[in-house]
Amino acid sequence: MSLAAEAIAETGGAREFIARFLRHRSAMLGSVIVLTVVLAALIGPLLATKDWRSTDMGFVWEPPGEDFVLGADQLGRDVLARLLMGARVSLVVAFGVLAIAMIVGVTLGMLAAWRGGWVDAVAMRAADVTFAFPELIIAILVAAMLGPGVSTVILSLAIVSWPGIARLTRALVLSLRGELFIEAAIACGTPTRRILLQHCLPNIVPALIVRASVGVGFIVMAEATLSFLGLGVQEPLPSWGGMIRDGLPALRSDPYLALFAAAALGATIIGFNMLGDGLRDLLDPRLAQR
Amino acid sequence: MLSFLAQRLAGLVATVLAAVILTFVANLFVPGDPITVMLGDQSSNRELAAKLRAEYGLERPVIEQFVSYVLGLLHGEMGLSFRFPGTKVSSVIADGLAISPLIAGAALALAIPTGIAVGVFAALRRGSLADTGVMLVLVVGLSIPNFALATLFVWLFSIKLGWLPVAGWGRPVQAVLPIALLAIPAAAYLARLARTFMLEVLQQDYIRTARAKGLAERLVVWRHGLRNVLLPILTVIGVILGGLITGTFVVETIFNIPGLGRIAIQSIFARDYPVTMGIVMLFTLVYALINFIVDLLYGVIDPRVRAGAPR
Repeated sequence: MSLAAEAIAETGGAREFIARFLRHRSAMLGSVIVLTVVLAALIGPLLATKDWRSTDMGFVWEPPGEDFVLGADQLGRDVLARLLMGARVSLVVAFGVLAIAMIVGVTLGMLAAWRGGWVDAVAMRAADVTFAFPELIIAILVAAMLGPGVSTVILSLAIVSWPGIARLTRALVLSLRGELFIEAAIACGTPTRRILLQHCLPNIVPALIVRASVGVGFIVMAEATLSFLGLGVQEPLPSWGGMIRDGLPALRSDPYLALFAAAALGATIIGFNMLGDGLRDLLDPRLAQR
Repeated sequence: MLSFLAQRLAGLVATVLAAVILTFVANLFVPGDPITVMLGDQSSNRELAAKLRAEYGLERPVIEQFVSYVLGLLHGEMGLSFRFPGTKVSSVIADGLAISPLIAGAALALAIPTGIAVGVFAALRRGSLADTGVMLVLVVGLSIPNFALATLFVWLFSIKLGWLPVAGWGRPVQAVLPIALLAIPAAAYLARLARTFMLEVLQQDYIRTARAKGLAERLVVWRHGLRNVLLPILTVIGVILGGLITGTFVVETIFNIPGLGRIAIQSIFARDYPVTMGIVMLFTLVYALINFIVDLLYGVIDPRVRAGAPR
């Protein structure tokens, strides 16, 4: 049996999967954190009593208290409101990157596996080139060329993320090609498009979900790193990485901004990673015993 | 072995070529005219502008510029800086050259033994409270970004407890936090892998044989277990190095260390693209070279890799 088919056979039905998910401690803890962050991003900015943009020079570096629950930053802006908006920014970037990387990676991976020849060679060499650069260097390069901003971050992190997905998809589709049901589809004269989208795709979805959930934590971290270096999300839009950078010089007298932003960022990535690890245990039986 | 070597070498050459072309193209397409920036308040001085343009070779055809870029690289020269007119990129980054490899090397030297020791420790106590605790710490260590952890550490160790300096470079004590912060994610990554590999190795037949013949558990672990764990760990040294390179950008920025990472970031903001590209190039070359060496070593140690068997 192929790797992909094996993964499906082992996971059983949806009900059994949910039952196993609920028993998996790190997956549960991770999903609670992730749900909290998602809720904060969706409705947080609506619930916040203060606007994340409004500056008030009378409350510069205001410590946490009744008026500013988590204090105010160097421009007298409410830290809580900015943290909540920061959650939205962070998730928009993460899902934007994931969406682009998935579409490009899965399409190229499938075509590379199915067509072979020069399509395969070009796609995989392009992936190799991306892998040849250390982690964030390409993202830093793109940010330097296009100028910082949300769309640059999304584009540059998508450039870094698609090759891994393309390689994974290619390997999975190659292993599916030998399956009887695919051979049957080919023999029936099913159009290639239909084979790829309706026969192959559903079978590689579990592996892609694992890949995506493990990848989100990395993307959130990468966005925060770029923003921290000043190459990512720009003012006035809040980013947790940018907030940490703003808070560092005042760490001695007013540590709240940097510490709260660091906590939000750290907890979010921990949540995504725990959920990702849990899903990998549950959906990928080859790794479950590890 | 020879075809394996040739294949790896071709990969290395391709990578280096890609880096050369990419940095050159990036230099061509960066926004703004560097000469205008350099002239500053002398923007009406046409003569000086023409002279600078000639010195930087900006009026020559692209192909010619590329050839001289490549020739320069072969001589270890990466062109002239925009921010410091007339200064070679190599002299702008010379000071950082001694610092970043030192921090990254120290972090790696710290992370490898610590990570492996922690991973093996956890594997030998699989399922125990200690194992669960270690795994939890590892998830945290892997998840929290350097600079978020740095915020906490500087606040705790430098400001609240006053044990370490907040920032700066020059005294050994100033290197403690930067090196520790670089080493933590690397060590956490290694520990997780070491635990996984150790668990796998401990299930092998030769371990059961070693135990069955009455070998002391300590020897089973050291002689038969650990050796086989070290092999797969070698392959991830490249990945770890990639993380360390990104880490130097962050750590040097936080602690005001005049290394390559900070110079690169400053150069981006100063639109000193030749310096930025020079450093990108340097990091990529080192990264490619280390990966090449790791591949070779792995091929030498494990004949299956050489024969082209799937890894």
